Amino acid sequence: MKSPLPAMISLRGVTLVYPNGVRALDNVNLEIEKGDFVFLVGDSGTGKSSLLRLLYREARSTAGEIIVDGIRVDRLRRKRVPALRRHLGVVFQDFKLLVDKTVWENVAFAMQVTGAHTRDVMRQVPRVLDLVGLSHKSRMYPGELSGGEQQRAAIARALVNNPKILLCDEPTGNLDPANTTEITALLQRINLKGTTVVVATHNQAVVDRMRRRVVRLADGRITTDEERGYYYLGLGQTQVLSG
Amino acid sequence: MKNGATIILDWGKLKFFLGEVLRNFSRNTGMQVTAIGTVAITIVLLGLFLFVRGELADVGSRLLDQIEVSAYLHTDVTQAQVTAIAHFLAADPRVASAQFVPKKQALAELRARTRGTIDTALLTENPLPDKFRIKTRVPDDVPAVAASVRRLSGVENVVYGQKIVQRLLQLGAVLRRIGIAVIAVFFAVAGIIISNTIRLTVFARRREIAIMQLVGATGTYIRLPFICEGLLAGVVGALLAVALLAAARVALWPRLLEALPWVQLAAMPLDARLFVAELVAVGAAIGVVASWISVGRHLRT
Ligand SMILES: Nc1ncnc2c1ncn2[C@@H]1O[C@H](COP(=O)(O)OP(=O)(O)OP(=O)(O)O)[C@@H](O)[C@H]1O
Ligand SMILES: [Mg+2]
Repeated sequence: MKSPLPAMISLRGVTLVYPNGVRALDNVNLEIEKGDFVFLVGDSGTGKSSLLRLLYREARSTAGEIIVDGIRVDRLRRKRVPALRRHLGVVFQDFKLLVDKTVWENVAFAMQVTGAHTRDVMRQVPRVLDLVGLSHKSRMYPGELSGGEQQRAAIARALVNNPKILLCDEPTGNLDPANTTEITALLQRINLKGTTVVVATHNQAVVDRMRRRVVRLADGRITTDEERGYYYLGLGQTQVLSG
Repeated sequence: MKNGATIILDWGKLKFFLGEVLRNFSRNTGMQVTAIGTVAITIVLLGLFLFVRGELADVGSRLLDQIEVSAYLHTDVTQAQVTAIAHFLAADPRVASAQFVPKKQALAELRARTRGTIDTALLTENPLPDKFRIKTRVPDDVPAVAASVRRLSGVENVVYGQKIVQRLLQLGAVLRRIGIAVIAVFFAVAGIIISNTIRLTVFARRREIAIMQLVGATGTYIRLPFICEGLLAGVVGALLAVALLAAARVALWPRLLEALPWVQLAAMPLDARLFVAELVAVGAAIGVVASWISVGRHLRT
């Protein structure tokens, strides 16, 4: 049997202590394969956002080894961080769209500031806008869009550089149930096209409907990791980890 | 497929980039105007300083060129002594010319020079001695030649305008130091104001910057618009200063000539095109250096 492909995301013994002394993550081990869809769940303050931040090097681990798409993130020099971020798309609860740019300009911005050719921008932006279903609103400003549409624009921006990984930190946190369903379906479609998706969420409905891998954090440690999990522990087949 | 940090430009890229720079530039108009104004004042001062220094050097070198040594002879000097002195001077390679001026001629020259302000007719006898008027090839040799002539027999006294020249040169040095100090202060002020302007722009654009960093724009790419903004402020300020200097020259030059008729000012002691290029380059440099430092401090990329 062939040896398995190296994981898309791999954390080994990762600890994160913030400068103020808070131990946000404590000896975390996690492997995420290419094409996986993973929920990160857990109470507030258990380190979900911190884990995502480590992956795109917004925060730097105190100890341990982090590999993202073959890049040793924990050892990455500051100058190489932009290269790492081009392998990732990141989406937040608050969308982070630029209010004085249209949807089209917001999405194109992510390509333009990384030096993409205009030809590629003209080809790629319509493609992702179509994927998220916003082609007809590409000339509108974020203030003219619903929350769900704004999040779709943000997802389009995250995807426009063709990342292999999409990281979402509470992507439905500001959305009503209808928009939440819509965004969830979109994330699923993106995952089906081969993108590895990691979603930190508090939304029980989303997790329970999707029945995908659920990684549970408590106090900076991974407590359970279920292949087809639910938001609350004990409803699915559980593999309890020691640590 | 993904062309990362490629440098190859296309029109769309350039338009986008210039749009971002202009967007920056129009963000804090008040601050920009202040920055440009300070650069302009700095460059005007620098321009005036260079101009005055050029004039001083010009006037000074002409004064030095005119400097001559007067060797006054004893009233009872003999013809043989005069001849010996003339031969001695003719043999000295440092001497450009030596002319014997008998006392009659000296008096006539004095009359001509004073033109009636002194009534020479009142003089019962000629009080002036005979003298040699000596010019050296280079002004630097004046003291040595004067000293060697003084030792010759028949020479009573040797006079040259050394003190005046020294004073002039000292004055020039003092003016230069004051000028440099004032200009240094203005440079610092202009730099601080530009970097402050950049800081405000960085703050106004913090959301764009955060997103650029998030999607993987390089530090250089993020800084570039701010450097361009500083460059623009510096160049615009310098051009403004050049325009002010040119206008001032047109308006004030005739009056200056009128006010200082004896100084023989040079119309333009400097190469005008080079001068303008230097001033604009200095303005650009202030802008780039100040914004570079400021962006480095306020953008941790
Ligand atoms: N920049 C920071 N500096 C210091 N401590 C931080 C920082 N960010 C987070 N923390 C702390 O680290 C711990 C984990 O925070 P984190 O934001 O990762 O939790 P979370 O699981 O995302 O919570 P939530 O569900 O509320 O978003 C918390 O105790 C938090 O106070
Ligand atoms: Mg969080």
